[in-house]
This record gives sequence, structure tokens and C-alpha cells, in this order.
Amino acid sequence: MTVAAQELAYASIAEVSEKVKRREVSPIELTELMLSRIEEFDAKLHSYYTVFTNEVRAAARQAEAEIQRGQYRNPLHGIPIGIKDIYESGRTTCGSKPLDNYVAANDCTAVKKLKEAGALVLGKTATYEFAYGFPTTKSYFGPTRNPWNLGHDAGGSSSGAAASTASGLAYAGMGSCTGGSIRWPAQACGIVGLKATYGRVSRAGVYPLSWSLDHTGPLTRTVTDAALVLQACAGYDPNDPASANVPVPNFAEKLGRDIKGLRVGLLRSVYEDNCDVKLLGPYNEAVKQLAKLGAKIVDVPTITLDQLQAIEWPGLFAECAAIHLDNVRNRGNDYNPHAKLFAAYGLLVSGAHYLMVQRARAQVRDDLLQALATTADVLMLPTAGFQINHIADESPGLSIVATSFSVYTPIFNFTGFPAIQVPCGFDSDGLPVGFQIAGKPFDEPTICQVAHAYEQSTVWHTQHPNL
Amino acid sequence: MDKKGIMAAKLAEWNVSLTDSELDQLVPAYDNLLRWQEVVHSMLRSRKIADGMIFPESEPLLMYSPEKGGSK
Repeated sequence: MTVAAQELAYASIAEVSEKVKRREVSPIELTELMLSRIEEFDAKLHSYYTVFTNEVRAAARQAEAEIQRGQYRNPLHGIPIGIKDIYESGRTTCGSKPLDNYVAANDCTAVKKLKEAGALVLGKTATYEFAYGFPTTKSYFGPTRNPWNLGHDAGGSSSGAAASTASGLAYAGMGSCTGGSIRWPAQACGIVGLKATYGRVSRAGVYPLSWSLDHTGPLTRTVTDAALVLQACAGYDPNDPASANVPVPNFAEKLGRDIKGLRVGLLRSVYEDNCDVKLLGPYNEAVKQLAKLGAKIVDVPTITLDQLQAIEWPGLFAECAAIHLDNVRNRGNDYNPHAKLFAAYGLLVSGAHYLMVQRARAQVRDDLLQALATTADVLMLPTAGFQINHIADESPGLSIVATSFSVYTPIFNFTGFPAIQVPCGFDSDGLPVGFQIAGKPFDEPTICQVAHAYEQSTVWHTQHPNL
Repeated sequence: MDKKGIMAAKLAEWNVSLTDSELDQLVPAYDNLLRWQEVVHSMLRSRKIADGMIFPESEPLLMYSPEKGGSK
């Protein structure tokens, strides 16, 4: 692959779309470039389950014809992207053997909106089984490998979206997030992951994991790109009962503004006594960098990691069990062994326990809303407190519900606040590290503003894995 | 009844059965689940309204709405 092709593959959507608009690069050229890179590199990564070769070529020809006729739509027009394989669109396996041959009759709402915006769907990207069952080397669909170190997992559950976007096998990927499945793999692969406010992006036609925690959103290589993709897929959808009927702002409207005087509230009680120093070091440097850019760093008292886990996982798996009960009864032995166990685990959560979890969620949300109304403009904490795992040969058991599973992302799933993960360096083993910025409900422009200011003052977004 | 027996009985109510080795794997997770039950319970705020009686401050939100709440 030539240097020019490599540069084009790793260019941002913001850069490429300008070239498409000016007809300097065609959607067909971009699509063929992505298809050739998938052909060359994806045997190593296993980031795609299905590539829609014929369909995406046809869509690229149509986009090119429209642009030639002067019917350019928006920055996603003619841009090839990947879609997590729990979104209904063509073959939709959910990373599970029983759905190996399931082909959705229709595109889900988010995919429809992206296609209407002109995005070209390259294919379906790998996922943890039903967005929660870690893959092992023995799993039916096999694991997605981390492009920065092929022995490590790519994070999940939106593994394929993260690995393919980080590796220049797509310009963006759509993921889903119930406890961190956009932000955690984005950190693991060194890219940006944006989980918008609960209800901002439709989940209709996306296989649920936990209705009250599920979100959908983009993984991209830059903050600007995350704002552009969110723009195309956000908005009210009557087919999603949780969809918020609120105005959709210009998510890029604050990009480029400085952050002088803006108050960044650190949620130290969640991470300070348990975050691995390998990850805490780059994170603390990021805090200093934000201060250098003029942000005022303040502390926001909140819950501990133990309390975070106590709220997130019982509620998530109780809902998961309600979703998967029939599947587990009928085809449980075709699941990854631990995926079946997690569904059983959810059946052990009592009704009273589930409702106490919901009460605790409401309290934490209210406390953080109060903090965002008085002491901080945005909230900040690391994305995870441990390095991404090696790919396992055997089932990892119920590792997610162990106290050592220190991902810090769920706090913004159960509060519903918008949150963005941004790369902030590498640990001593060369694996990416990131942090989260979260904000008030439906104020995605402000979290993008802060994330963008940091990103543009550092070099992390310009570094790419050497495949 | 030991933990495995309790879990097996609860799962049987749902017509779900696990092997002995699967139940073994569930035991530490179940122990933690019971601990987390107490952690969450201890977080809940309430007002004392009579001797030994409380009035809960928060309300469970089954379908979550992030834009609600925040005012105190």
C-alpha cells in the first residue's frame, strides 16, 4: 500500500469529506481503499463478520453519481463506515452461533438514518456475544485482536468497530454501550468513542442487553468525526420507547472554542484508590494538560467503584436475563459458556434488589446533576483502571461482576449523561490509555468542545497502529 | 441449604438448570451479588418519620429519563 493510500485511509472524516465535496476523491475510491485494506489486514484483526462487498460498491457508485450531479448531502456522503453486528441490517449475528444465518428483513433506524445521510455501509463488525459475552480463542466467532498488540483483546463489546476504525479499515464504526461498550474498546484501540445522552440515538432494531442502560453511538479517530457521525444518527424515533423528543443541536458548534475558565470536575472517589498506575500516569498528565489550556480543575465528591459496580451489574444482568431467558432455555448450550452463566446470574437478582438499584441510580444522577449545576461544567475520570486483557483460551467466567473489573464507564450509563472517551497516551506496554469527559444531559456540544481542545493540543490522535 | 442449592432452586423456578461445574462458577458471583445488595441498600437515603420507620427519598425509575431530577 502506498504512503498516499495509507494517509488517505487514516485521514479523518472531516478531511476526507471536504475532498469528496470538492470531487478530489470519489466515494468509489474510498470504498475500494477500505475493501482492499480489509482484504489485506482483517485476517489478523477479525474486526468484520460480514463485508457487504457488492452492496457497498453499488452504494458508492450511487453516491458518486449524486455528487457528480451536484447533490452533495453532508459530511457523511460517500464515507465508508462499519456497523456493529447487533444492529439489524443484512446478516446480523450478534456474535452468537444460533444467529449465524439470521438476515434482518430491514435496516434498523440508526442505519437507515446513516444511509440517508449518504454513509456507505462496508459491513458488520465484531461484537462480544449479544454485547456482553467475552470471546475466547474457542468462541464460535472468535475474538477481535487489538491492533496495537495482537495478543490482547480489542475491548468490547464494540470490538470490531474499535479495531477497524483504529486500523483504517473504516472511517468510523457504530457501537452500542450498556456499561462502556463504546468507550472501553475505544480506549483499548486508541480512538474516540462517544456515548450520547440516553435517548439521543435510536436503539430500535438494535439487539437489547439492558433496556434502561442501552445506548448507541459512534467510534471515530477524532472528536470532530464523532460529532459528525452523531449528527447523522441522532434524533427522535417513535419506534424506540426511550427515544428523547428533544431538539438536535449542531454537535460541532463549540469545536475550536477555548476552554479557559471552564470547570472540569474530577470524580476521584471512583478511581483514585484502584486505578493501575500504568493508566493513572497518562490520565494525570491529561488533567494537567486541561489545566494548561485554562480549565479550572475541581473535585466532585461522588460514589466509590464498589458502589458503581453494585448499581450497574445487578441491574444490567437482571434485564439481560429477562431478555435472554427463552434463548437460554432453548439454545443456552450454543452460547459462550460464560454468556449463558451471566443470563442465569441475572435471574438471581430479586425484584426488591432491582428496585433498590433503580433508586440508587436516581440518587447518583440527582447528585451529579446538582454538581453540574453548581460546581462543575463537565466531569472527568479515566475510562478504565486496568490494562486490556490478553485474549483468553478458556472462558473467563463471570469476570465482569468481580470487584477487580475496574471499568469506570458505567456511571454514565446509569445516569444517562453524555460521555466521550479521548486517547491520552500509551501505557508502559504500548497499549492505549484514555479518559472520559461527561456533561449535562443533551449537552454533547460542551463535552465535544473540551475533548476537542485536549485532542488538538496533543499528538495521540495522529498515531496509528502498525499492522 | 448451601449456596449452590439455593441458586439451583432459584433457577429451577425459571425452569433453568445448570451443571454442577456451572453452579460452582456462579458461587463467587452470587456471594458478591448478595454483598452488593447490601451496598446498594446502604446507599439509599430516607427520612425518619417514626420510631423504626422511614420515608424513602428516591423513587425507582424503570425507564430512565436523564433530563428529569436534579432539583432539590
